[in-house]
Amino acid sequence: MAKQIDTWWQRNKYLLSGLLLVLSAWYYYQSLNPSFPPALPASQVGQFQISVMPYNEQGPYQHDGQFVKDFLLIFKEGKISDIRQGYLNIGSSPLPLETLQQGDLGILHGSRHGQHVHALTHQQFTHEDKIWLTLELWNGEQLSSSWELPKLWK
Amino acid sequence: MFYLCGFAILFGIWRQNAANKITKCLNKMKKFNNRFWFQLHGWVSLPVWVLFCFICLTGTISVISHEITWLVNPNARAENPQQLAPRPMDELIANLQQQHPTADVRGIGVREPYMAYTLRFVDKGVPFAIAYVNQYTGEVQEINNGQTFIGFMRSLHGWLLFPWQNGYSVGYYLVSAMGLLLLGSLITGLLVYKKFWRDFFRFRLRTRQGTRTFVNDLHRIAGIWSIWFILIMSLTGTWYLAQGIMGHQGIEIAPHPEPLAAAQVPYEHEYKERISLSQAMAVARQQYPDFQPGFIMMPEHHRDTYKLSGHGDFILFDKYSYKVQVNPWNGELVNKSAPEDMGVLQTLSHIADPLHYGYFAGLWSKAIWFIFGIFLTAMPIGGYVMWYLRVFKAAKRRRESEFIVQEAK
Repeated sequence: MAKQIDTWWQRNKYLLSGLLLVLSAWYYYQSLNPSFPPALPASQVGQFQISVMPYNEQGPYQHDGQFVKDFLLIFKEGKISDIRQGYLNIGSSPLPLETLQQGDLGILHGSRHGQHVHALTHQQFTHEDKIWLTLELWNGEQLSSSWELPKLWK
Repeated sequence: MFYLCGFAILFGIWRQNAANKITKCLNKMKKFNNRFWFQLHGWVSLPVWVLFCFICLTGTISVISHEITWLVNPNARAENPQQLAPRPMDELIANLQQQHPTADVRGIGVREPYMAYTLRFVDKGVPFAIAYVNQYTGEVQEINNGQTFIGFMRSLHGWLLFPWQNGYSVGYYLVSAMGLLLLGSLITGLLVYKKFWRDFFRFRLRTRQGTRTFVNDLHRIAGIWSIWFILIMSLTGTWYLAQGIMGHQGIEIAPHPEPLAAAQVPYEHEYKERISLSQAMAVARQQYPDFQPGFIMMPEHHRDTYKLSGHGDFILFDKYSYKVQVNPWNGELVNKSAPEDMGVLQTLSHIADPLHYGYFAGLWSKAIWFIFGIFLTAMPIGGYVMWYLRVFKAAKRRRESEFIVQEAK
């Protein structure tokens, strides 16, 4: 017969894993009340007025072997359906459309009410980096715009 | 010669030592008796029994979450008194857009024939919503904000609602690692109770010899009759762990659906309307005549394709084991795959869910999984009660008897 000292700890030590479930309740509450960083100021790009909102304040993460950061693009003016293809990247300069369209990471996708994007970037942001938007319209016209990175990210 | 003799003597000594060591080792192995396996059984299960019990309970409820939804929410049912065939999906989307003209449908989920189709959409000011549309009548029966009982239970069971970030969730790892502990519990349990097979032929549940004996018998009976079930749960759980690690490390199990080349998207002067979803479905059925839709993803951008997942006449594979990609601009087949094209890892990823949740043979297999899920949920409770009674109640009785002896002296 195992001799066990009858203390509070000995009696309850095997119940402690249940405390993890408190985190489930907390995360559920968080998912019902999500909060996002403020959107960057709206920028005029041809007939479109677009603001860019990051999903979080964290750095880039790796996806399919490339570093990306997620954004939501809100179109305040202009119709999303007028765009043939659009891309977002973070770097010292915009990537050429010929490079961007090699893959589908960095492409604008979603619905007519908002576009998501996994912006192509590198592991760490630098002071020279900007957020670059490249759009191509149905007639082949290319438009471009950029935003400064929030200071906290640099 | 002298060296040779010396070497032979040394070799003999070494061999004798080695033989002694092996004998000692074997003797030690013998010491891995029931007590050792019993303690190991406790070590792998007792410290996490509350969490494990919760995971089993949520999994058991998840097995019948569709049926619970059917029971409590009439809007989720697909009533079909006139025995009509399902209407084309385009028509269902049109019915939704008639009521919500700015709704953009992103995907369509097909569940059991008695459950309504789920149209996932975004709308102005609505980041995500689900419409329950009766596939036989075309009626839009409910629109909710995407928080459903089925989704909640699957998320609670699968990753304890812990957030996903950058391709992984700590909760997912916690839950799937239970597969290894469950396997450890099964093996050590069988090593403790080596003649377990005898209980298949006799039923011994002692109800009049105290709580500890009763709970012990229940734990043993439930465990023995659930061996096959525990094995399935532990192996599929371990697979989920491996799958999570591979996903986290960027190792692709199935090839990523390729987008169209930019040149395949027409410019203004050559612009034409996209093909309809029904046309895309016809392409899928041309490839696989027994194709039954499971989940349909609409193109998310102009280089994207219709992505149709479905199932056919094969058992054990999930509802997404047929995959067809269709070019929305010209209706050409871009890619397709079926179970016969899958490698080992892909096959495992498509049979894990039906085996884990028991939906591979409809309501009957779900009922069996639900019953054994209850057994599995009860087993850690029984194990803890046995430990508690053994350690603390027995200690209390021992102290009391020692006190009585001392008093008598």
